[in-house]
Amino acid sequence: MEGQALTDALDGLRQEVRQWLADNAPQGWRDRSSSESAFLQIQRDWFAKLVQGGYAVPHWPAQWPGGGRSLAEQKILYEELARADTPRLLLSFMSTYHAACTLFEWASEEQQALLIPRILAGEIWCQGFSEPNAGSDLANVRTRAERVGDTYVVNGQKLWSTMGQFADKCLLLVRTSNDGPKQAGLTYLLLDLKAPGVTARPIHQIHGDEEFAELFLDNVEIPVSDRLGEEGQGWAVAQSTLSSERGLTLLELSARLRGALWRLADLIRAQGRQEDSGIVRDFGRLSAKVDATCAVADQFLANRIAGIERVGDASIVKLSYSRTLRDFTALGLRLGGIDAQYHSPITFGGGMETGNWMADFMNSYAWTIAGGSDEVQRNIIAERLVGMPREPKSWTLKEGAA
Amino acid sequence: MNMTRAEVQDAADKAFGQSDLAPDAAQSWALIAEMGWLMMGVPEELGGLGLGREAAGVIHQGVGKVLVPGPVLAQMLTIEALAAANDLPERDALIADAMAGEVMTASLAGGLDGADRLTCVPDADTASHVLHVTADRVALVPAEQFVVTYRIGWDKSRRLFDVTVEGPGLTLAEGDAACALADRIEALRLFCLAGDSLGGAEAALAMTVAYLETRQQFDRPLALFQALKHRVADMRTQLTAADALFWSRAQQADTDIIALGALKALACAVYRLVAEEAIQLHGGIGLTMEHPCHLFLKRAMLNCALGGDADHWDEQTGRAALAAAV
Repeated sequence: MEGQALTDALDGLRQEVRQWLADNAPQGWRDRSSSESAFLQIQRDWFAKLVQGGYAVPHWPAQWPGGGRSLAEQKILYEELARADTPRLLLSFMSTYHAACTLFEWASEEQQALLIPRILAGEIWCQGFSEPNAGSDLANVRTRAERVGDTYVVNGQKLWSTMGQFADKCLLLVRTSNDGPKQAGLTYLLLDLKAPGVTARPIHQIHGDEEFAELFLDNVEIPVSDRLGEEGQGWAVAQSTLSSERGLTLLELSARLRGALWRLADLIRAQGRQEDSGIVRDFGRLSAKVDATCAVADQFLANRIAGIERVGDASIVKLSYSRTLRDFTALGLRLGGIDAQYHSPITFGGGMETGNWMADFMNSYAWTIAGGSDEVQRNIIAERLVGMPREPKSWTLKEGAA
Repeated sequence: MNMTRAEVQDAADKAFGQSDLAPDAAQSWALIAEMGWLMMGVPEELGGLGLGREAAGVIHQGVGKVLVPGPVLAQMLTIEALAAANDLPERDALIADAMAGEVMTASLAGGLDGADRLTCVPDADTASHVLHVTADRVALVPAEQFVVTYRIGWDKSRRLFDVTVEGPGLTLAEGDAACALADRIEALRLFCLAGDSLGGAEAALAMTVAYLETRQQFDRPLALFQALKHRVADMRTQLTAADALFWSRAQQADTDIIALGALKALACAVYRLVAEEAIQLHGGIGLTMEHPCHLFLKRAMLNCALGGDADHWDEQTGRAALAAAV
């Protein structure tokens, strides 16, 4: 399809999705999402509904139910989800993107036939990559897997597993060798979190939410058949996981940011500050910045569709969003004044801009730190996109230092 | 990028892509007329190329990149006004002259002109006509009806004049039509200033990165220092985002003045940031008249002031966003 036929088809899809959302999108969910259990229920119900409607996994290959949507179609879907202000799929996000996309690329047909349908049925995956000493420097993973016959015996600690305390399965990056470059000793395993020796503890975030867990692995046995790729190939498999989602989430989040400008506007009006040039200017500047972030997310996706994406383009989008989100929440906090300094209960899974400004401001660090910190993004932009020289690796530990 | 934009880009690269910064004014003007750039926005039935805002965007980014001097932006405003003046008998002849490079200038100050006094008018001393935009009338005033005063500016790439209008000139539009035309002129001025700024920022950033890669201190190129790389990355990010907004607004046919004002304010803020950082990152050499850093700084500062400054447009944008966000 091309030209007018394509435009018509996309317009048709937009109308179809908009109608479906009018009939099916949950209403008043933020008010209900005042506890963790309510949050989980809202997430599970909404995901099940999207699966039923065929909109949960548009990025999957066409052979799976709900899959086979083009990027242009996915874009429309996410724009409409943002417009309808539906709950973002936080609980199932790792499952449908990171887990599924890694399985599509590396798992056998039997493994896929077993695991993929379970994701649609609601099985939750988390990612076990980061560790206390492997954050920005991910290749530094130390969680150890010793092969004993047909099983790996795993010991170590994982950090920042999104939704890890609610998950059933985990994408696990472990060290099977200390020889050669750090990356070469890594292996990728699929861990059943119900296995003996696994302890998941939620991480208490500074704004009161618990969206991440730390996982303690104490002599956990994983069958060798649950390995993806060969032993020592873990780094390559992990790259598939990390690149499973690029573009659409930030497009959706930027659109949601634009859609949430009313929260700031309402505050300005409620305080009678419509004639306060200082605040009006800052609000105007922010809204232009939000528009630019939406435009750059849009351009990124268009370049991806056209096959002209460059290494580092995604980092520009992420950095642009993370800084704009920080500005957005900072302006909310400023407008919130002393009121914003009194604690009010957070909305679980309410999004990045809930109007609980101190909580939103603190939560905005999730985007300047997680998924590759702003500093890592700046390195990528400067070195990979602009072409400045790479950091020299000449630095060594002092004698006797830990 | 559609074919038209790609073709114009190609032409712009050929015209000024290899040029030195701040090329000769007379030669640049001849080249601009010869390339047909002044015809770009004119409808085909008036002898133009009938290209839209995207083509203007490419041209002004290209002009900004090499700091082309001269009245190209002002000339385009006058041509835009002439194209709308369907009732003026001399119109076709005038627009043909303007497209061929006879200087017909206009104020870049922003908003409406004074009743008889215009400011920030490029190359008014060599102009055959000046555009005069007031609330209820848009006129084209011939040289014998105005007096010019040269104002020495910091930015030498634009020769700016104050103009005192002493005659009625030719009416291009009156009443509601004048109002609508004034909006179109303002929209075009804002968009082209944004393009000039983004082009300049792109060139200043490229020049700075090249310098960081060449200049060695402490036995290594400056480009190896992470503190400097991160500043480059921040500039790259802000510039890319502003550029994306520029092309997205270029595709919108309407003339939402405030949306274009917001774009202009953002583009100028990025230009100013990059130009300031260019000098700082060049160190001492950046403070010398011999080095081109200051050319970008001066044009960036002028662009910030022309067409309505950030204080004005940020406030307008804020008011519009307040009204829209309910």
